[in-house]
Amino acid sequence: MGSRASTLLREEEIEEIKKETGFSHSQITRLYSRFTSLDKGENGTLSREDFQRIPELAINPLGDRIINAFFPEGEDQVNFRGFMRTLAHFRPIEDNEKSKNAAVSEPLNSRTNKLLFAFRLYDLDRDDKISRDELLQVLRMMVGVNISDEQLGSIADRTIQEADTNGDNSISFNEFIKASFVVRGNCMT
Amino acid sequence: MPSRTGSHSPTGIGKSLPERGLLLLMVLVLLEGSVIPLGAASSPDTSHQKNVDSHKAEGEKNHTKKAFPVLDLDYHHIQTPFEISLWVLLASVMKLGFHMIPRLPGIVPESCLLITVGLLVGGLIKLAGEKVPPVLDSQLFFLCLLPPIILDAGYFLPIRPFMENLGTILMFAVVGTLWNAFFIGGLLYAVCQIQPANPNELHQLEILPCLLFGSIISAVDPVAVLAVFEEIHINELLHILVFGESLLNDAVTVVLYHLFEEYSAAGTVTVLDGFLGIISFLVVSLGGILVGAIYGILAAFTSRFTSHTRVIEPLFVFVYSYMAYLSAEMFHLSGIMALIACGAVMRPYVEANISHKSHTTIKYFLKMWSSVSETLIFIFLGVATVDGPHHWNWTFVTVTVILCLVSRVIGVVGLTCVINKFRIVKLTTKDQFIVAYGGMRGAIAFSLGFLLKKEEFPMREMFLTAIITVIFFTVFVQGMTIKPLVELLAVKKKQEAKRSINEEIHTQFLDHLLTGIEDICGHYGHHHWKDKLNRFNKKYVKKCLIAGERSKEPQLIAFYHKMEMKQAIDLVESGGGVNLPSAVPSTVSMQNIQPKKPPPAKLVEKALPKMTKGREEEIRQILRSNLQKTRQRLRSYNRHTLVADPYEDGFSELLIKKQKMIALEKKIKDMNYYLTVPAAPPDSPTMCRARLASDPQSYSSKPAMDRVPTIQVDLASPQSPDSVNLMDEFRRVDQQEEDQGLTMKAPSGQSGPNRPGEADRGREQQKLTRCLSDPGPSADEEEEEEPFLP
Repeated sequence: MGSRASTLLREEEIEEIKKETGFSHSQITRLYSRFTSLDKGENGTLSREDFQRIPELAINPLGDRIINAFFPEGEDQVNFRGFMRTLAHFRPIEDNEKSKNAAVSEPLNSRTNKLLFAFRLYDLDRDDKISRDELLQVLRMMVGVNISDEQLGSIADRTIQEADTNGDNSISFNEFIKASFVVRGNCMT
Repeated sequence: MPSRTGSHSPTGIGKSLPERGLLLLMVLVLLEGSVIPLGAASSPDTSHQKNVDSHKAEGEKNHTKKAFPVLDLDYHHIQTPFEISLWVLLASVMKLGFHMIPRLPGIVPESCLLITVGLLVGGLIKLAGEKVPPVLDSQLFFLCLLPPIILDAGYFLPIRPFMENLGTILMFAVVGTLWNAFFIGGLLYAVCQIQPANPNELHQLEILPCLLFGSIISAVDPVAVLAVFEEIHINELLHILVFGESLLNDAVTVVLYHLFEEYSAAGTVTVLDGFLGIISFLVVSLGGILVGAIYGILAAFTSRFTSHTRVIEPLFVFVYSYMAYLSAEMFHLSGIMALIACGAVMRPYVEANISHKSHTTIKYFLKMWSSVSETLIFIFLGVATVDGPHHWNWTFVTVTVILCLVSRVIGVVGLTCVINKFRIVKLTTKDQFIVAYGGMRGAIAFSLGFLLKKEEFPMREMFLTAIITVIFFTVFVQGMTIKPLVELLAVKKKQEAKRSINEEIHTQFLDHLLTGIEDICGHYGHHHWKDKLNRFNKKYVKKCLIAGERSKEPQLIAFYHKMEMKQAIDLVESGGGVNLPSAVPSTVSMQNIQPKKPPPAKLVEKALPKMTKGREEEIRQILRSNLQKTRQRLRSYNRHTLVADPYEDGFSELLIKKQKMIALEKKIKDMNYYLTVPAAPPDSPTMCRARLASDPQSYSSKPAMDRVPTIQVDLASPQSPDSVNLMDEFRRVDQQEEDQGLTMKAPSGQSGPNRPGEADRGREQQKLTRCLSDPGPSADEEEEEEPFLP
């Protein structure tokens, strides 16, 4: 498998990915071997079924949405570049980068982009707002089937009420950032 | 003695409150100081007197009869408990007194003040010529004073930040303490050996006692850290780092202490001993945790069955934890780690099982005990300082203090360099400084030193003096200056914001997200294992340890319930419950937290069109029947029964239903306009009774509900739909035949002839307050199954 990986991934590609995402050489090769192990069809791209074959992802409440996040609008296949681009969101922010990239456009793993990624997982219809229904759907996925709709509804209402500052009964991206400000995620520095 | 009072008290007539408080304080201290030596003095006298009397009595039995003692002083009989109570009282009054003094609590941390008081009391006792009681006896300290503090810390340990930083904490605790011990011990030995010219007592000091001393003094003390850090409100990360370190280094200290103590008699330590020491460390720490976890699971399992004996629930928590501590100490395992493990393991399950009141009880008892313990420890430190045989040696003491500081700084900086390679959120220089500066020594070090036997360690007094000096230095100097330093360095403070539901959702969301990403990458990291543990917990453990339906409750829902409960209690305590009835329904509803939002539309729609005249009569009938049962019942006094906890009786359902009720109430109020009779003002009791007489239906017999017969007042008046008591819908209505359409459950009782509106208000408020603190009659609370509206 190792030899196959190195023949299929050229040095120039690795360099490009490195520049775009900021991963190191070893990380890229390792992720590439993972990519190929997932790619059962051996055609250099991953489809949704390839992802769904991962057992832990099947029991993850957000599994489907995470999978969807990998696929750009309307497409059914993702190549290695796209795979890496999505994963780049989760790279920890390094101090030396902050100063380097100040002038350039924001790197993929900046805090804002990380939060944007999470926001997009809530906001399925991409209208830049998390409506009550979308929130309800996420809550329903996380909580399971035992809880009644009304209870979930109250929770959703309360959540929106806490976060909503402009009174439009939905959570915009800025409100989302503010509400999640106090959360210390390990990867979301 | 009384003359001293004069010298302390401020002269002048216009004494302000703080000065009065100060005066009171002084008086109490003096009282304490004088009673104890008096007690010590009088007891031998009394017993002697008794002996003499008995002899005399025997001798004179045949001749005279001693007069029957009407009033007798027998201090000896109650001496020990009395003195203990006096100490506890002193400690508590001190705590009170400090906060009455105007500016002092801001400048000087409480621990310093307490040590000063201890010094005072010890001084007084000594001046009185009496022997100072050996208060900081190791037995007393380790078995009585320390466990409450540690249990309080362990039970309320914030698990998530602790686990997230566990690697860092362990590094500091294990490697840091080892480094400190060897550095201090080794360098002390080296320093003691230089001075070849004059024969110095220090030359007698072998390497092993030095290392033993190093290990005693190197451990950061949880009591001192808690006392100081509590007041500076530092950010959560630093707090958990220093505090976690102080808790987990107990295992290292125990092993090192025993190792060096054992072998300092022999004089040498071989490699084998070192190896055994490492194994011993693993056994001590993991064994301690295991013992704690076992007791924790036992406690959780026991709490599953306590639904009928709520009064003793807190006892299980305390007793199991204490037994975990004692069992660990029995095997020379780390008692502190056992206690922490026990508290942390049992907490989620116990909290799901026990009633709200028991939870409050546990919380306040733990806080109370740990607070008193802490105060006593510091006072005793002061007393023991005055008492203990001291042997001051300038070189030894100063070198010790300097070495402690230096080794701590080097240790922290060095370890942080290594740790930062593995951390995502790195520790900055400011953080490192606070961690190093916050490494306080405290009473544990002193007690360990006290335990040393004089025969084996001739230098015991010197050790004790040095330990006390270091403790004083860290508590006074470091304790007093850390607050201004924190301000100066602008270290991030604790965020006072309460945990919101947003945070909770987002945290869980992130957990799932990151677990998913880890799975995609094939990387079995932190999140992966946490997720597996959670799943295991949900699937198997919760079913065993949590009673009833709550075993299936997702974490989010539990959190939400807790929040709602808190909000409800706040609402009532702030007096919001007084304005319950029709006036402003939205403020009443504890569930209805968005006043802007209209209540659920569907109920309203149904209610509105169906309210015809005939329907209105139905409502009136149902209301009448509902309102007839009295609410207050006199139960026979039984101190073993707690009134039922609303939470188990479907309080959560209550809240949801209540929202609907309030919504309907609002609509019914609007219905007023359809009824021709205007709403009348609340009547006097006489009017009430007059109305009663005219209404034949008011005295329908109630089925036996095993209650004390009570006055039944019919409050259904045609004009007050707000006499609807909407909250009791979950009680079963007895006159089933009356239920058409609108079904409402009868309330379980009411007070005597009240005004209708007031009665409602009163009832609602009573109901609310009762629900939340004293739910009242509960024998027949059953699940409501019929919907309010068809």
